[in-house]
Amino acid sequence: MEILDKLKVLSDAAKYDVSCSSSGSNRSNKKGGIGNAHMSGICHSWSEDGRCISLLKILMTNYCVYDCLYCVNRSSNDIPRAVFTPQEVVDLTINFYRRNYIEGLFLSAAVYKNPNHTMDLLTQTVRKLREEENFNGYIHLKAIPGADERLIETAGRYVDRMSINIELPSTEGLQLLAPQKKREAIIKPMKMITAKLHEKGEEKKKYRNTPKFVPAGQTTQMIIGATPDYDMNILKLSEGLYNRYQLKRVYYSAYVPIGQHPSLPAIAGPPLLREHRLYQADWLLRFYGFQAKELLDDRKPNFDIALDPKCDWALRNLEQFPVEVNRADYEMLLRIPGVGVRSAMRIVAARRFAQLNYEDLKKLGVVLKRARYFLTCKGKYYGETSINEERIRYQLTLGDPVKKDILGGEQLSLFSVYPQLSPQKETLHSIVRDWS
Amino acid sequence: MIHYIYDGSFDGLLTCIYEAYYRKEAPEKILFQEDDQENLLVRKVYIEQDKVKAEKVYAAIGAKISRNALKNVFYAFLSEQEDAGSLIYRYIHLGFKIGKAIDEHLSDDRVLDIYKTVQRVTKEKHLMLGLVRFRKLGENLYYAPITPDYQILGLLAPHFAKRIADQNWIIHDMGRNMAAVYNQKEWMITEMMLEKSVDIIEEERFYQQLWQQYFKSIAIKNRINPKLQKRYMPKRYWSNLVEEI
Repeated sequence: MEILDKLKVLSDAAKYDVSCSSSGSNRSNKKGGIGNAHMSGICHSWSEDGRCISLLKILMTNYCVYDCLYCVNRSSNDIPRAVFTPQEVVDLTINFYRRNYIEGLFLSAAVYKNPNHTMDLLTQTVRKLREEENFNGYIHLKAIPGADERLIETAGRYVDRMSINIELPSTEGLQLLAPQKKREAIIKPMKMITAKLHEKGEEKKKYRNTPKFVPAGQTTQMIIGATPDYDMNILKLSEGLYNRYQLKRVYYSAYVPIGQHPSLPAIAGPPLLREHRLYQADWLLRFYGFQAKELLDDRKPNFDIALDPKCDWALRNLEQFPVEVNRADYEMLLRIPGVGVRSAMRIVAARRFAQLNYEDLKKLGVVLKRARYFLTCKGKYYGETSINEERIRYQLTLGDPVKKDILGGEQLSLFSVYPQLSPQKETLHSIVRDWS
Repeated sequence: MIHYIYDGSFDGLLTCIYEAYYRKEAPEKILFQEDDQENLLVRKVYIEQDKVKAEKVYAAIGAKISRNALKNVFYAFLSEQEDAGSLIYRYIHLGFKIGKAIDEHLSDDRVLDIYKTVQRVTKEKHLMLGLVRFRKLGENLYYAPITPDYQILGLLAPHFAKRIADQNWIIHDMGRNMAAVYNQKEWMITEMMLEKSVDIIEEERFYQQLWQQYFKSIAIKNRINPKLQKRYMPKRYWSNLVEEI
């Protein structure tokens, strides 16, 4: 098969992997070598779906021994198949890199023959890049669950980031849609990488130069909307992964309907808005000091489609508002809808010199459209309404209910935008069809 | 009212600031070219570039304000905005009064205006780090045309000198007829104009084709969103890409 055809097949098969981040590593170039990593990452292009292209994201092969229902590469799916040789991947990476098309390589694979064989192919490729080509750009490698841990560990010495996909948010989901994949096999290498990273951290305290091991940490990904899991369970899982395994990121991938099966939900398009809400909540966990249980509970296990999770939380905890921006501590400022990490830091810095006016807030980057209902400035409240949940909710969802570009192709009904008008409460269930 | 007019160089601008202090004048505007409108109330003063005076102002900003202020001033200058000189003057004026805390005074317009300008330049620089596309012209020679809004060539060059240190490359700012040229040892900025478009060799065509294929197949069809794509990657940058959009 021509290299062009292989690239077509194997990038097409890789596109459902969400991560394209190239940040978190500061690997520098070596003498006579090529490439370095950029701490904050660099996007090199944006594809037609608006997603950033930072890395050459390809599969080593899409031949797969597994038959997971939600996956395009499942063995029973009749699609063109291909395998790259390690040298072919190396040549593509180096030549794309020299032209500044990419920031590095994101190499993944379907499970070809068996996990060890696949992991070995991946490891050979990254070793070639580092040792033969003296390539010092970014490499993100997928670890194959079920492969020998020594193989995974060896690969870890060559790459900047590693990830093992958790695939689905619950064990039941995994049993239903990917019965050949075992939760244990996914968690075990994840644990190993965490332990190894910890060990490296200790070593670094003693010796100045220790060989690198996945310096940009590990991440994972799960598919949203292929199983009837609640947002609450998904978010708690993420919280656990961040706290227990120190993951750098959890990625959420809206399920793209690719086949029909009684175990799969029948939906017209990927639940993009739900994915977006999960990302917003994920940010609240990592940067805003929120806990999953504050955002969702048994009474309200799914996010509001019409409101972002922070606004929604604020409306359910109105007794904590309004907040006086000239006095509140940083943690509380962060909890005001419309105030981000940057604007909160700026408020804290700027108010040391002068009391802040309402007009100043805009200059500091506060989104007043939302924030006005939740704060006071020198004691004055600027929302047109009184502090009343129903009224503020109405104001916040009015006019600009949900941003169009976030929505993408997803159609919203009047009821999903204004749930208070809706006769039935569980709007999400119409999107994530309930089946059992 | 006084307007200072300088030659458009960074040293020229710093000389203006030196003169404003030395002559105890408060110029209303500092411009790198005269505005066309004749105004009887305006007295135009032409300031000649002076390396020694510029050096003094440069050192004073670093010492009395901060390294970061120095960076802000330089980036704002690179914006080539018509009022950049005046904004920089007002910013430095405030900076000499309150010192290194200046960048926390974001609610002050003198700081905010500079900050916004610097952000625009920084943003374009970061975007271009990704959007520069090299074409291989011959044995280990790579060429990339760019048409940025701001004068960021000098900000891009150090990045690529570190990154693709083992190849010879040229980044050509076609709008300004300037180029950053690197020879595997050091880079320099020089004037450059192309008589005709560059020839594409067979090997180059092959990799361009591969990249175009990759670009096409990596998009998820159920998520097509050209508006989002354009927001991240504005159309004015597309002409120098290899991608077929």
